[in-house]
Amino acid sequence: MPALAAAVDWTAPTSASAADAGRARLELRGLRKTLGDTAAVNGIDLRIASGESVVLLGPSGCGKTTTLRMVAGFIQPDGGEIHLDGVLASNASFALPPEKRRLGMVFQTYAVWPHKTVTDNVAYGLEVAGRSRAEIKAETGAVLDLVQLGGLANRFPAELSGGQQQRVALARALATKPSLLLLDEPLSNLDATLREEMRFELRGLQKNLGITTLYVTHDQDEALVLADRIVVMNKGRIEQIGTPEEVYHRPASRFVGGFIGIANMLEGEVAAVDRVGGRVLVALDAGDRLWSRAPERWLADATPGSRATVLLRPQDIKLERPEQPDQEAGTEATFVSETFLGNHYELKLQAGGTLLRVQSRVRGTFEDGRTRLWARAGSAWVVA
Amino acid sequence: MSEISLTSRAVGDRPSVSLLRRLSALQPVRFLVIGLSLAILFALIAYPLILLTGYSLVDAQGHLTFETFEKAFARRGMWQATVNSAWLVALVTIGACALGIPLAWIVARTDAPGKALVTLAAGVSFVIPTFISVISWIFLAAPNSGYLNKLAIDYLGFETAPFNIMSFGGLVFIEIVGVYPLVFFAVNAALNNVDASHEQAARILGSNRLRTTLTITLPLVRPAILSAVILVMLDALSSFGAPSAIGTMANFSVITTKIYDLLKFPPQFNYAAAVAMPIMVFTAISLLIQKYAIRAENFRTLTGKATPEQILTLGRWRWVAGGFCLIVALVTAILPVGALLLLSVLSSFGADIRLDNLVGKHYALIFDENFAARASILHSLLLALATATVCATLGLVLGWVVERFRFFGRELIGFLVMIAYGFPSIAYAVGILMGYVELFYGTLTLILIAYAGKLLPIAFVLVRNGIQQLSTDLEEAARISGAGWLRSIKDVTFPLVRGAVGIAWVLVFSLSLRELSMSAILAQSDTQVMPTVVLQFIEDGAVELAAALAVVIVVVSLSMLGLIRLFTAKKTTAVA
Ligand SMILES: Nc1ncnc2c1ncn2[C@@H]1O[C@H](COP(=O)(O)OP(=O)(O)OP(=O)(O)O)[C@@H](O)[C@H]1O
Ligand SMILES: [Mg+2]
Repeated sequence: MPALAAAVDWTAPTSASAADAGRARLELRGLRKTLGDTAAVNGIDLRIASGESVVLLGPSGCGKTTTLRMVAGFIQPDGGEIHLDGVLASNASFALPPEKRRLGMVFQTYAVWPHKTVTDNVAYGLEVAGRSRAEIKAETGAVLDLVQLGGLANRFPAELSGGQQQRVALARALATKPSLLLLDEPLSNLDATLREEMRFELRGLQKNLGITTLYVTHDQDEALVLADRIVVMNKGRIEQIGTPEEVYHRPASRFVGGFIGIANMLEGEVAAVDRVGGRVLVALDAGDRLWSRAPERWLADATPGSRATVLLRPQDIKLERPEQPDQEAGTEATFVSETFLGNHYELKLQAGGTLLRVQSRVRGTFEDGRTRLWARAGSAWVVA
Repeated sequence: MSEISLTSRAVGDRPSVSLLRRLSALQPVRFLVIGLSLAILFALIAYPLILLTGYSLVDAQGHLTFETFEKAFARRGMWQATVNSAWLVALVTIGACALGIPLAWIVARTDAPGKALVTLAAGVSFVIPTFISVISWIFLAAPNSGYLNKLAIDYLGFETAPFNIMSFGGLVFIEIVGVYPLVFFAVNAALNNVDASHEQAARILGSNRLRTTLTITLPLVRPAILSAVILVMLDALSSFGAPSAIGTMANFSVITTKIYDLLKFPPQFNYAAAVAMPIMVFTAISLLIQKYAIRAENFRTLTGKATPEQILTLGRWRWVAGGFCLIVALVTAILPVGALLLLSVLSSFGADIRLDNLVGKHYALIFDENFAARASILHSLLLALATATVCATLGLVLGWVVERFRFFGRELIGFLVMIAYGFPSIAYAVGILMGYVELFYGTLTLILIAYAGKLLPIAFVLVRNGIQQLSTDLEEAARISGAGWLRSIKDVTFPLVRGAVGIAWVLVFSLSLRELSMSAILAQSDTQVMPTVVLQFIEDGAVELAAALAVVIVVVSLSMLGLIRLFTAKKTTAVA
């Protein structure tokens, strides 16, 4: 793999001057598209730098596929612009045809051509580009080795497993060394184990080749593994753009917090604001007071007495005793259910009016079905 | 939110798009292909139909008038012909249902012996056009010399000949035998697709077999029956071959033969167009019923699979049902085919059936260079080749356009094509004649235009279905790999629908070979085709020659249809 990456310079922008460092591989400006009567994509701005892996993540129907297909050139936007390597590719009145965009794409259905062998599938883009026979043979072989399909080169797709077809689709998309690789839920048709394996493999490949990717999924775990940056979408709009850590630990909205990972949302009232420390003291409706970090913009408007929603991840809730002895009294909670999951217990507890999910190594002791719990220091985050 | 992640509109000026880039994005080839196929479609289908309607409604001075209708229908015998057509349609429809539905039920749901035979027989009588089965039945049941009549008088003690095929009743019989397979196949397929669970659910609730059949099964297959009934009615109404052959001898007319008469020299286009109108209107109404009434009922899309539990054990009745099957097979397939083969080698119609009376001279005459029949064989083959190629190509392009493009008027293509399908051949031929006779008088091109327009729907539907089953991803993957629009069709779409295109080609080829009603109107003395020559032979009383030429048609058609196996076999390996 390193050999191939060295032989082929994936990272250099092929048409534009490499000197122009500020130029994005892909840039979306105010992109909009209405399908039927839904605003499928409703104003999206995004820049993807060379070599970056960006994942579009969002619930079903939020416009991920539509966005991706506009980038590919299969759908023309109603408004906004798409730039590839700094050159306009689509707007409402102009659309460069897909074949002129020099992209690679992996389809959810694989779309491996059933009448062509593995080799012919992979070689197709090179043939269309008019490369010499020797070149085609060499590069096809290299890409097939890259996805570990060297041995199956002469099979027809019908003679391959789903996972293998998936690899053919990937190899085909990589063979032409596209300036940008698009993937629309490429793993969703695989079984769970294979899906998990492929995630890491794809990430490894992406990093080794340094290829710029735009990846669409509704699976948060996939997004966390694959992304340099995650773009969380909802109802045709972007909710947040950030690194996996950012979107997980510091979600910009209630929606993002709820969509990525398991979230406990606790309502409360601001008791004190510490702008310098970037945190507020929240008096929870369920009892207890805790210091919670908050987004800067929200912090700017926060005053004592205003309402706040605090996010706590299940693993950040401690049962029985506080992490530090000087923490406050804790929150009283009643037992609802308990599940043993091997390395931890998954508990459901009721605190005030809110159902909490807690992951704990200890089973917790309950008196009359009651216990106390504390938040891990520094883990709370205000989402709204 | 990091700085690089969001761009403001101020960053980077809006680049202007060069004219060249805009032009390259337009894909001129694509527009050319679409535009051209639309133009051809209009020329083939819309134009003749508009002419036809126009002629019937406009008088010589160009005024809108209904006078043409009045005059046309006031002509001698015209009213009687209309009544005859109405009777023909009614009787044939009833007869085809009475034969086809019970047979379908026996084959799909009972353990009667001889089921395979019935299916085969229905296939055979479906393939043989009525102008050919007429020949067989003349041989078997002509009033005096028919061999069945002779048999009845000589051996069964009949005083007079019991059968007379040269009568209105004879015509009804031949038409029924020709169209009942439509009902049989449709109902049989529907019955096979009724999931056992529907019927079992009723049985569990206490309904007995008969009641279940009447209240569950029958309503479920009703859409299939209605669709078939409409096809049968349209077929009977627009049939021309048998009515023409028998009508000439028995001295009666139906609408289609009247239209034909009106176009004999001197041709009276206005009247022909006016007389064709009732057929057109009836067809249009039927198709609308088909589209709305039957579609509305199609919530019960049948997708199940019949299971052995649904097979009824008939017990003693088994042999009655088996006998019925055998008789049907005998009468609709074995006898006619046997008679046709025999007649084609019999020294003369009426001769005793003995070995030394079997000769090959009729075939020799047909292939004789100095005889009209040979030219007609060449013409037919040439036309079939050309029609099949034109239809398969157009079907591919149009099917692709309709399936893959969203543009205004997309539905119009499908609509125009389907109009041509429902349209009675004879009326369509009149339209073609009016539209193109001056350009192509007396040429095979004129006939080709008519064949192509009329058979295009078959190719279109087959290829369109093939394309429908192809995921668009497959083509898009080619585009993303750098292939242009045309190249993606060539490399991906076409290889994958090749099976469907091949089947369409073969079907259109076979159907062109046996096309009579349009050929009869459009063929001139030096553009005769096999069917018109067969008809001429029948009308001249040369039934042996008619039989020999008919055998040629059937053999060529059947061998071409055999090619379908080839395509279907390939298809299964190609599509995962
Ligand atoms: N052809 C269409 N006509 C009308 N509405 C459409 C059409 N295609 C998509 N939509 C709507 O546009 C919205 C966005 O669709 P899109 O396919 O982009 O969603 P997605 O984010 O990819 O979802 P999924 O995760 O389910 O694939 C959806 O609400 C969908 O119902
Ligand atoms: Mg999608």
